[in-house]
Amino acid sequence: MFKKLMILAVVFTLVLSACAPAATATEAPAQPTELAAPSGEVVKATPGNALNMVFLPKFLGNAVFDQAHEGALEAAAELQNPTELQFLAPASGGAGADQIPIITNATTQGVDAIMLSNNAGDQVAPAAQAARDAGITFVTWDSPIPSAEGEQVFVAQVDFAETGTVMADMARNILGEDGGKFAVLSAGPDSANQNAWIAAMQEVLQDPAYSNLELLEIVYGNDETEKSTQEALALVDKYPDMELIMAPTTVGIAAAAKAMQDEGLCDKVKVSGLGLPAEMVSFVKNGCSPEFALWSFYDLGYLTYYLSYLIASGDLEAVDGAQFEAGRMGEYTITKDPTRPDVDGPLRVLMGPFSQYNADNIDAAVNP
Amino acid sequence: MLRRFERLKSWEGVLLVVLIGIVIFNSSMTPHYLQIQNQVNLFQLNIEKIIIVLIMAFIIINAEIDLSVASVMALAGCVMAYLFEKGLPFGLCLFAGLLTGVLTGAFNGFMVSYVRLTSLVVTLSGLIGYRGLAHVLLENRSVGNFPEWFDRLGQQPLVGPFPLALIIFFVLLIIALIILQWSGAGRYVFVIGNNSEVARYSGVNVRRVKMILFIVSGLVSAFAGLLLAARLGSMRGDTAIGTELEVITMVLLGGVSIFGGTGSLYGVLLSILIILNLRNGMGLLNVPGENQTGVIGALLILSVLGPNIGRGVREAWNRRHVQHIRVGEEEKGG
Repeated sequence: MFKKLMILAVVFTLVLSACAPAATATEAPAQPTELAAPSGEVVKATPGNALNMVFLPKFLGNAVFDQAHEGALEAAAELQNPTELQFLAPASGGAGADQIPIITNATTQGVDAIMLSNNAGDQVAPAAQAARDAGITFVTWDSPIPSAEGEQVFVAQVDFAETGTVMADMARNILGEDGGKFAVLSAGPDSANQNAWIAAMQEVLQDPAYSNLELLEIVYGNDETEKSTQEALALVDKYPDMELIMAPTTVGIAAAAKAMQDEGLCDKVKVSGLGLPAEMVSFVKNGCSPEFALWSFYDLGYLTYYLSYLIASGDLEAVDGAQFEAGRMGEYTITKDPTRPDVDGPLRVLMGPFSQYNADNIDAAVNP
Repeated sequence: MLRRFERLKSWEGVLLVVLIGIVIFNSSMTPHYLQIQNQVNLFQLNIEKIIIVLIMAFIIINAEIDLSVASVMALAGCVMAYLFEKGLPFGLCLFAGLLTGVLTGAFNGFMVSYVRLTSLVVTLSGLIGYRGLAHVLLENRSVGNFPEWFDRLGQQPLVGPFPLALIIFFVLLIIALIILQWSGAGRYVFVIGNNSEVARYSGVNVRRVKMILFIVSGLVSAFAGLLLAARLGSMRGDTAIGTELEVITMVLLGGVSIFGGTGSLYGVLLSILIILNLRNGMGLLNVPGENQTGVIGALLILSVLGPNIGRGVREAWNRRHVQHIRVGEEEKGG
C-alpha cells in the first residue's frame, strides 16, 4: 500500500511538472531597443533599465569579493537599475565547480546578466555557454574562463606584466639606493596568477637599474595564514641579512607583516607586496610594511557592473574596439585579450593601473 | 487501512511528507521550479552523486562505508584525461578509467574483507591517496577537448529532454531495487550488515559479498567520474572534492542505519529527491551558499536522530496500543 502511495506521489509530481508551462515567457529580457552604437563612438549608459543581474564571485566571506560587490552596488545605484543585484556564491571551502549550479539556476530564472569570477577553470564553460545560448550577457572579472567559451568579455584588473615592475620598484624604494637582499613569499607553487607576476618581476630584475637587488628564494605559504607565518619566520632564520619579504598575495603579506611585528623584527625586515588596505593599515603605520600595492576590487566590481549593464541593455556590443564610458572611472575600450593567445577570440577590458599605498594615503583608502 | 497507517509512521512516511512539503513550497515560491528543464537540471546537476548513492546504500546497509568514492571519481576521470592527452584512442582511455575504478575498489575490498581492516580506515586512506594520485596525474591543469560526441552525451539531452546520465540513473535505480529489495543477494547484504558472524556461520560467503560490493562501488564511482568529465567538458585533480559526504548524507537521510542492517532504497530514493529539490529550490530562491550548506547539515543531524526518535515514538505508541487492544498479539509486532 505504501509503495502505491509513493508511486502515486511520483506520478503526481511528474504530471505537475508536465502541466507546467514549458517556459514562462512573461518576463521579457531586455531586448536591444536600439541598434548598438557604430564603432568609434563612446557608448554611454541609459540609466533606469530594469535588468536582473547576478554578481558571482569565487566564494563567500572573502573581503576582496565583498569590496567588488560594494563597487557593483555603487554602479547599480548610479544606473538606477530598479532590480536588486543578486550576490550569489558558493560557501567558502567548497569545490570550484560549485559555481555551476548557481549559473544553471540563474539561467533557469532567465536573468539578464551574469558576472563571474571564475573558480573552476574550463569546467564552467558548458554552463556559461548554456547561459549565452539563453541570451544572457556573460562577463567575467578577476579570473576569466581560460577557453573563453561562453564568455563575452573579461574585465582584467591590471596588466600582469605591470605587476612585475610595480613589485621591483617597491623593493627598490624600500631597500634604498644601496639595494639589498629579499625573498618572495607567494601563494601556492601552482598559483597561476602569482607565478606569472613573480616571473614578470624576475624579468624586471635583470635590468641593470635593479642590479643591486638580490632575490634569495621563493617560498610558498599556500594562502594560509598559519603556513605563511611559518614560512616568513623560517626565511628570517635562514637569511640573517635579508631585509625584505615580498608577498604577492593578500594572505601572505598580512601574515608576514604580523609575524615581523609580533617578533619585533620590523626594524630589520620589511614586508611589501600585494595587500588589502584594510588589513595592512596598522602595519603601514608602525613601519612594518612601508609600502604595498593592489588594484581596487571596489573599482573592479564597479567597472564590471557598468560593462555588463551596457551589454545587457543592448547599447554596447561586445566586439573588439568597442568603447564605452564607465561612470566616474571614465572611458574604456574592449580589446583582444593578449594573455590568452592560443584561444579563439577572447576579449578583455583592462582596468589598470595599480594603486600604491603608503603612510600618506592609507587612511584615505580605508575610509573613503 | 491500519497497516498503511503503520507504514506512514515509518521514516519513509516522514520523508514522503517532507518531500511533498518541499515540492509544494518550491512550486508556490518560484514559477521556474516546475519547468521541465528545471526538473531535468535538478537531477543533472547532481547526477553523478546520486548514481553513487545507490551503491553506497548497499555498502552502508552491509555495515561498511566507502569514503573514497569522490576520489575514485576524480582519479578515473584524470586517468582517462591523462591518457587521452598522451594521444591514446579515446575508447581505450574510457576503459582505463573504468579499470581504475575496478582496481581501487578491489584494493579497498581486499583490505576490508581479507586483511580485515576497518573500511573507515581503508577508504579514508583511499580518499586521500586516490585524490593525491589524481593531482599527480594532471597537476594543477585542466584537461579537456574530449571528442565532441562525449561532451554532447554529457551536456545535451538524448531522449526528449532527458540526458543520457539521467536515463542511466533510472535504469540503475531499478536494477538496485530488484537486487536489494527482492533478490536473495540483497538479503545477504542485509544479513551481513546485521551480524556478519551469524551470516558467516549460516553459510554466507561474507568476504565475497563485501569484495563484490567494494569492486562495484569503485566501478560505479569511476563511471560517475567519466559522466562528470563529459558533463563538465574537462577534468581537474580537484574535481568532485567533498562529494563523498553529500553521498553519505543522502544515504543516511534515507533511513539507512550507519551501523548497517537496516534501511531501504525507497527511503534513499525519497532522500535523494528531498535533497535535490531542496537544493534546487534554495538555488532558485537565491539562498546564499553558506545557508544552503547549513540546511543540508541540519538535515543530516535530523537523519541520524530522526529514525531513532521515530522508533522510540513508535515503540511507545505500540506499547500503549497493544495494551489497549489485546495482550496476546505482542509477537506479531516484533
